[in-house]
Amino acid sequence: MSAPIETTSPPRHGWLRIVAVGRNPRLTLVRILVLVAACFVVFKFILLPLRVSGISMEPTYHDRSINFLNRLAYLTHEPQRGDVVSIRYAGPHVTLMKRIVGLPGETIEFVNGKIFINGVPLAEPYEKNPCDWNLPPEKIGPDEYYVVGDNRTMPPDDHVHGRVERKRILGKVLR
Amino acid sequence: MKLFWRLVFIAAVIVVGAWLWTVFFPAPEKVIRHRLEKLAADASFTSKQGNFSRLASGESVAGFFSTNIEINLNVPGHEQVAFASRTEITQYALVARERLKSLSVKFPDVNVTLAPDKKSAVADVTVDAAVSGQRDAIVQELKISFQKTQGDWLITRIETVRTLE
Repeated sequence: MSAPIETTSPPRHGWLRIVAVGRNPRLTLVRILVLVAACFVVFKFILLPLRVSGISMEPTYHDRSINFLNRLAYLTHEPQRGDVVSIRYAGPHVTLMKRIVGLPGETIEFVNGKIFINGVPLAEPYEKNPCDWNLPPEKIGPDEYYVVGDNRTMPPDDHVHGRVERKRILGKVLR
Repeated sequence: MKLFWRLVFIAAVIVVGAWLWTVFFPAPEKVIRHRLEKLAADASFTSKQGNFSRLASGESVAGFFSTNIEINLNVPGHEQVAFASRTEITQYALVARERLKSLSVKFPDVNVTLAPDKKSAVADVTVDAAVSGQRDAIVQELKISFQKTQGDWLITRIETVRTLE
């Protein structure tokens, strides 16, 4: 005589409950908590959302567009020429968005709108608008970068640009 | 179990006491941040505000400053502004209210450093000012010096910090 075999059928849940909290509510809660914690860490410390305000980075970045700032971009290497970076004022809530065109120790000058680095013209495929800036040669310090916006259609006095200390660069803006 | 609840009660009393202490006796840094928030609110005005309200807020701006002040604002793309007295600040605030439709001033980032004697402090701030009719907001880093005078933290000096050289 064989022992009776007990069969256990899975509990029957309503489809609405399954959609709302899953088959295992505890596991769903843990998943939600992990997701919230991950989002908090990522968007608070690693990928900071930012809203572009102004036209100085046109046509690469448009006014009122939303982008992300990678704060870990320069953990393993220093900023590179061509990088679009976020530059802090007193804190991280309002920042400047500019492109790095000059590296530490270089000499930069603008001749008829063209950038010359150590006397050699710089190729700028992102520069779409005509520009007629003429600025005298300027030596970039050992811990400084030269930054400028992509939109140089306005006079140089109306466009925020120049040498920035490395410590003010918060990270790289994602394209 | 009784001991446990007593400990919980004592801990709760300590936490509430510490919170009340910070409410009634706030740290100087907190007081300065609050002063800056008030200054931003009083410096701002909208087109909907009545003339009397605009006049009152314009005159109250000077109350945040000491009698001896040194203010030099040199914002790229804008004319340089300098003040040496409260009267000049009041006049400038009133003229701004006449000429502009609206002005919104904010200090989104404030870093306060207190002097060892706790009688003076320096606030490194970002000012974000949106003027009606201007497409871009004016954003500038400022160094604001405070002096504690008769219990009030008053501004004695403001200078612009150049983010880009």
